[in-house]
Amino acid sequence: MEKTIDFLKYRFVSLGLSIAIIIAFGVIASFHGGLNYGIDFVGGYKIIVKFEDKSVNEGTIRQALSEFNPVVQQIGEPDKNEYMISTKLASATESVAGSTTSTKFEKLRTKLTATFQNITVESEESVGPAIGEYLRKSAYKLAIMAVIMMMLYLAFRFEFKYSVGAMAALIHDIVISVAFCGMMGIEIDIPVIAALLTLYGYSVNDTIVIFDRIRETNEIKSKQIFSEVINKAITQTLSRTVVTSLTTMFAVLSLFILGGEVLHNFATVLLFGIVVGTYSTIYIASPAVLAWEKWRTK
Amino acid sequence: MSRGMIYKLFFILFLIVFSALLILPTVGTKGMEVKFAASATADDIEAVKKRFSSEDYELKLNENTIVVSGRNITDAIMNEIRIYNGVADAKLLKHWVEETFLAKKINLGLDLQGGMHLVLQANFEGIQEKIGRELTEKDRNEIAQQALELLRNRIDKFGVSEPSIRPRGNEAIEIQLPGVKDPAGVKKAIGTTGRLEYRIVDDKYSSLAMAWMKQNYKDKQLPESYDELKLVIDEMSKSIELPGTLETLFFYKRDKDTGAILPDYPIVLQKEVSLLGTDIQEATVDRDEYGQVVVVFKTTAEGAVKFAEATSEKNHGKKLAIVLDNKVRNAPNIKETIGSGSGNISGGFTYAEARTLARIIKEGALPVDLKIIEERTVGPTLGQDSIEAGIKAFLVGIIIIMIFMIIYYKVGGFIADIGLILNMIFMLAILSLLGFTLTLPGMAGFLLTMGMAVDANVIIYERIKEEIKKGKSVRMAVVAGFERAFWTIFDSNLTTLLAAFILFQFGTGPIKGFAVTLFIGILSSMFVALYVTRFVYEIISLNKKIKKLHI
Repeated sequence: MEKTIDFLKYRFVSLGLSIAIIIAFGVIASFHGGLNYGIDFVGGYKIIVKFEDKSVNEGTIRQALSEFNPVVQQIGEPDKNEYMISTKLASATESVAGSTTSTKFEKLRTKLTATFQNITVESEESVGPAIGEYLRKSAYKLAIMAVIMMMLYLAFRFEFKYSVGAMAALIHDIVISVAFCGMMGIEIDIPVIAALLTLYGYSVNDTIVIFDRIRETNEIKSKQIFSEVINKAITQTLSRTVVTSLTTMFAVLSLFILGGEVLHNFATVLLFGIVVGTYSTIYIASPAVLAWEKWRTK
Repeated sequence: MSRGMIYKLFFILFLIVFSALLILPTVGTKGMEVKFAASATADDIEAVKKRFSSEDYELKLNENTIVVSGRNITDAIMNEIRIYNGVADAKLLKHWVEETFLAKKINLGLDLQGGMHLVLQANFEGIQEKIGRELTEKDRNEIAQQALELLRNRIDKFGVSEPSIRPRGNEAIEIQLPGVKDPAGVKKAIGTTGRLEYRIVDDKYSSLAMAWMKQNYKDKQLPESYDELKLVIDEMSKSIELPGTLETLFFYKRDKDTGAILPDYPIVLQKEVSLLGTDIQEATVDRDEYGQVVVVFKTTAEGAVKFAEATSEKNHGKKLAIVLDNKVRNAPNIKETIGSGSGNISGGFTYAEARTLARIIKEGALPVDLKIIEERTVGPTLGQDSIEAGIKAFLVGIIIIMIFMIIYYKVGGFIADIGLILNMIFMLAILSLLGFTLTLPGMAGFLLTMGMAVDANVIIYERIKEEIKKGKSVRMAVVAGFERAFWTIFDSNLTTLLAAFILFQFGTGPIKGFAVTLFIGILSSMFVALYVTRFVYEIISLNKKIKKLHI
């Protein structure tokens, strides 16, 4: 028989570690001015432009467009000379005061084409404040709905204590991932939201296999101490946890490296989330079930 | 092998062959027919040939058409070619699989083929001011529907074929235009309000025009774009010797399946406008005393006088055409003089038809101006770069996963890899059947599912390993492994399905695409792992001498 690893021994260490990470990320994020919502959520304008003139750089573009206070970033291979220029609506009221949003953006574009010769517009996006508001609301609504639906399913298929464990791990994963976005200054746009919601599925998927085993072992040998059952279950499923995380990671890693500019943030968030999801499956989900069980039987 | 197993084998083989067939239109070569106008010069033809001179394409020249075939022919390219000099028409040819099985193919999203995506909303504040009261939710809804009707009516002005116009939520409208060349022109066409007028139909010349059409345009498809239709109209007007006081327009009908407004037959109207759209105050759908669906309208005080004139005795028996942006949308008979300023239009409408008509009339009475609240334009090069990056990431990712599985699970890994390939084929086949639109996030979802798809195999193999360790025979371990793993796989995948389902509810297009690939990927990976792979192991364990499984 294989030796059972005592994962639960580290449960307070891991809890402390997670809290420390969240606080650290949060503090760094707040130095950046909190979460960086993309134009999808606050409204704004984003344009990807290719310059023929090789002497153009981020500085010269920023200077030429200084009145619009844009974010300028070079993307893709350096020799392509492609830049992403974006500017957000400072506030929802900005559009109401006098000029409409589109004219502000048209001014930016006109200025750009007037200042630099021979440019190709690769893509252009403008989002009004109303859409941003609508998207933000529905994103929050979805996030909450997803938690409730998964809790219900787990409570129905398993027991309520497993629901608690899975949700603890899920919320842990999402909070850390969001804090990570804040720390890294990753723009929260629609693909990033998709990545976060995928983590919902991934996190719970990863956890359930262990819970399934805890339940099974518990039914066969009910006399065992619950914490031992948990340790045994985690040990038995450990290779599956690692292998699945690895294969998923391979997929995401290749997206991260080769997937191009548009998917870069999406892949970054997923990559981080999968590591965290694997960790929380072992060190957060199961201890939470144990804690709930202990608290209840007290 | 038992009889049951032979049936199973045939079932699986059939699924594989059929799926492979279904993905042919998507991954195989596509064709496009470019038709040149009679006036096309040799240079014009050369220009088109030059556009497709790269090795990716193959050209076949006929009398006045060129058939281009290649893998990456899209709607965007078709729309690009359509505005070349001397090109009369360009259309994508259907793949024989599409013809035979009525199958569809996976289309590329605008982020991959390039194009323009717009979300519009009616300017509610302006309308509120005009009618002088708060808009209820029902009002806003109705206004959005009216705007939708207006946009469908002027779709040809966007200069592209294969556009998609559909409501998003209750109040906004989403427009997708693949490969649009002139975004500013499109925005201008959207920014203007509709022009509605009422004009008397000339029956004599209308029937002459009809006869001309029957003779000269019997089997031919009418061009959708107004500019091309205008050429037909000019030719016809000349040949039937139309007097200067009259004008030929087309009667437009709604295609029941797509909702698109298409030209149906010519109709000759007086140039003189009897009433303006603004002469009518209101239009609603109602039922008359016989229970028929009718459109009831009320004119303004000024309009009442004009209406009485238009419906006076000399016009009885004639038709009054309702013309929106130069398209005749209805032409009811004038039965009696209407002097009271209100009347109704009947004509055996269905409720939906009547509602459309009421909306058109309202568009004249209370024009809706639209504002663009979201705009995304992707150029063709960025789209092409994205596809290449996506495909590269996909191939590299999947190859690494496959190699890893073989190293870790040996023969078992090889079987899982075959499962992965089958999974890919099934997924593409289902997405093709659905006529799915593949976006960049969709490609990411596809790859991600591949990473997660092996999970089912991993769970099964680990379980079988454990059972063998417990001392079970290979055969028993396989059976127990699959059985025990079933509910584990079911439960764990169902939560991911829930996440995908919730993502799908998240309105915007690209995310929906991602959710659909995730959803279908999970279903198909469950099927492959629990049915196909299991079958492979059943066959392997038929061999009673087998002592050791390489997993």
